[in-house]
Amino acid sequence: MLIFLASWVGFGTLNRSRGLHGSRSMETHIDFVQWLDTDVSLNILMCLKDPADVVRAGSVSRLWHEFVVTNGLSKQLCFGRFPQLSRIARVTELDASAAEPKDVGSSNSNWETLKRDHEVYASLLQAIETSKSCRSDCIGYAVSASSTDNYPDESIVNTLIPRDRYLNRPSYWSSKGHSDPNAPETLIYKLKADICVINEVDTQPFEAYFQPGKPIYSAKSVRFRLGYPKSSRDESDLLQLPQQQPADDKFVWTYTSEEFPMTQENCFQRFNLPEPVLCIGGYMQIQLLGRVQRQEMDDLFYICICHVKVVGRPLSPAFDIEVLEPSREFVLKYNRDVFGCMLQSMTNGGHQESNMPPTPSEGFVLDAGLLEYLLQGYQPGVEPVEWDEDDDDEMDEAGIL
Amino acid sequence: MAEASSSITEKFFLTLKSSDGDEFVLEESIAIQSITIKNMVEDGCSSSVIPLSKVDTETLIKVIEYMKMHSSTSSNEEEIENFDKKFVSNSINTILNILEAANFLDINNLLELCAEAVANRIKNKTPEAVRKIFNITSDFTPEEEAEIRNETPWAFEGNLDHSLD
Repeated sequence: MLIFLASWVGFGTLNRSRGLHGSRSMETHIDFVQWLDTDVSLNILMCLKDPADVVRAGSVSRLWHEFVVTNGLSKQLCFGRFPQLSRIARVTELDASAAEPKDVGSSNSNWETLKRDHEVYASLLQAIETSKSCRSDCIGYAVSASSTDNYPDESIVNTLIPRDRYLNRPSYWSSKGHSDPNAPETLIYKLKADICVINEVDTQPFEAYFQPGKPIYSAKSVRFRLGYPKSSRDESDLLQLPQQQPADDKFVWTYTSEEFPMTQENCFQRFNLPEPVLCIGGYMQIQLLGRVQRQEMDDLFYICICHVKVVGRPLSPAFDIEVLEPSREFVLKYNRDVFGCMLQSMTNGGHQESNMPPTPSEGFVLDAGLLEYLLQGYQPGVEPVEWDEDDDDEMDEAGIL
Repeated sequence: MAEASSSITEKFFLTLKSSDGDEFVLEESIAIQSITIKNMVEDGCSSSVIPLSKVDTETLIKVIEYMKMHSSTSSNEEEIENFDKKFVSNSINTILNILEAANFLDINNLLELCAEAVANRIKNKTPEAVRKIFNITSDFTPEEEAEIRNETPWAFEGNLDHSLD
C-alpha cells in the first residue's frame, strides 16, 4: 500500500510547525502537558479516576498543578460520577476562610476558587471511595408512607425496629388494602445527614405470624430514590407531617436505582447498589412495586414491611450542605481538619473490624440483636424466642415501660 | 437496496500524505474512521491527495495499522483485543505522537486507547516517579509543595509505586 510520490498538494491552513518535533527525537519522554494540545492532555489526565491520582498529578510541577486546577479535573470527575452534584452552586471551606481573612485581588480570587474546588471535590471523591465498605445505618427518622392501614399501630415508624415484634406486639408497617396487585406504595425516610453515601438498602417483608398460614406480605420488587424537599417551607412541614399522609409530591428525586426483585420470604433482603450512590439533600424513598399477597378476610392485596435499613455512611460533619433559596441549589461545605479525623478513624477502625462501623453505636447494638434473632429464626423447628425471654438489657429496660 | 449493494462491491481509495511527504493509499471505508477525513470526503475535498501536515510517516503507519485492524470484518474481537494490547506497548513518545494524530484526525477509540495507556503510566505513581518518566523538573518551592501535601495528605499515603515502568 505504501507509495512514494513527489507531488505535494498544498493545504496551508493545516500546516502548522511546532516546537515539539525537535524534542521527539530524544530518548527521554516528553512532558505532554507542556507540549501537546490541551485537549490531548485533558484526554490523558481525565483517565485518572482515583482522586489521589488526580491530586498527585497536580503536584508534579507548577504547570501540571495549574493544568489540573484550572481545568477542574477533580470537579469534572465528581460530576461525571454523581450528576446530582451539578446542583452545587459553590463550595466553601470552613476553617480556611477563617484563617485567611486578608482580601484577595479579583484575578487572584478566581484562582483561589478553582484551587478550593480542586481540593474539596477531590476530598469528597476520596470520602466516597473510602465509604464503599461502610456499614453504618443511615436512616435518621421515618417521614411518611403513601398509605397506612391502621395508624399508629401499623405506622412506618415500626420499620426502624429490627424485629417483627416489640413490647409483645407485632411491629411492622402495613399499606392499605388494594384490589389491584400492581398498585405501588412508597416509604420515605430522612437520612442522618444531608449528604450521605449509600451502598445498600435492606428490607424485610413482614410475615403475619398471627394470621392462618402465616402469609408474607412482600412486594414484587423494590426501587430506591434519593433527593431533597422541593422547598424549605415543606421541609419544616415534613417534621410535623402525620406519617400516614403521603408526601411524595414534596420532593425532587435526583437518583433512581434499578429495580430489584423482592422474594416472598421472611428474611432480611439485601439490595446492593452496583456503585455507591451519593445522596444530596438527605431523603430516601423506597418504592414498593406490585403486591403478591391477598388477605383472606377481605380478599385485598397488602404490602407489609417489617424492617428497613439503609447501609452506608453519613459524610457530615466533614461535608455539609446548605440550600440556597429560591434556586434550591446547594452550597457544599467542607472542613479539612474534620475530614482528616474521619479518614483516621476509618483506617484505625477498619483494620480491626472491616465490616463494622468505627465505633459501636446504638445502631450496632440493635444490629447485633437482629443478627441473633435471625440466627434463631434460621434453625429449623425452633420457634423464635419470645420477647420476655430475651436477655438484651436495653430491650428489657424498654419492656418494663 | 440495489444501490447499497453496488457501493459495497465498489471500493473507493483515498491518498493520505504525511508531514514527511510520504503518500499512503487506503480504502475510503477504512479511512473514514477518522471523522476529520470523513468530513473532507463528504465536503468533496478528497478527490486529490489528503495532506496530514501534523502526522509524520512513522505515526501515520501506526494509525493506518490501527484503522485497518479495527475496520476489518475479518478480525474478531479477540484479535482486536490482542492487537490493542500490543499497540499500547509502543514507547510513550510513540503513543503521544499517535495521540496527537488521533486528536487531529478525530479517531475517538484510538484517542481513548492511547490516553488510557499514558494515564496507566501515571496511576498510583509518586510525583517523583511521574517527573522522572516524563523528564520533568519540579519547580515548586518547598513551601508550595508542603501546602499541597497539607491540603490533601491522604493522596500521598499508602502503597505508592516508585518504579518508572
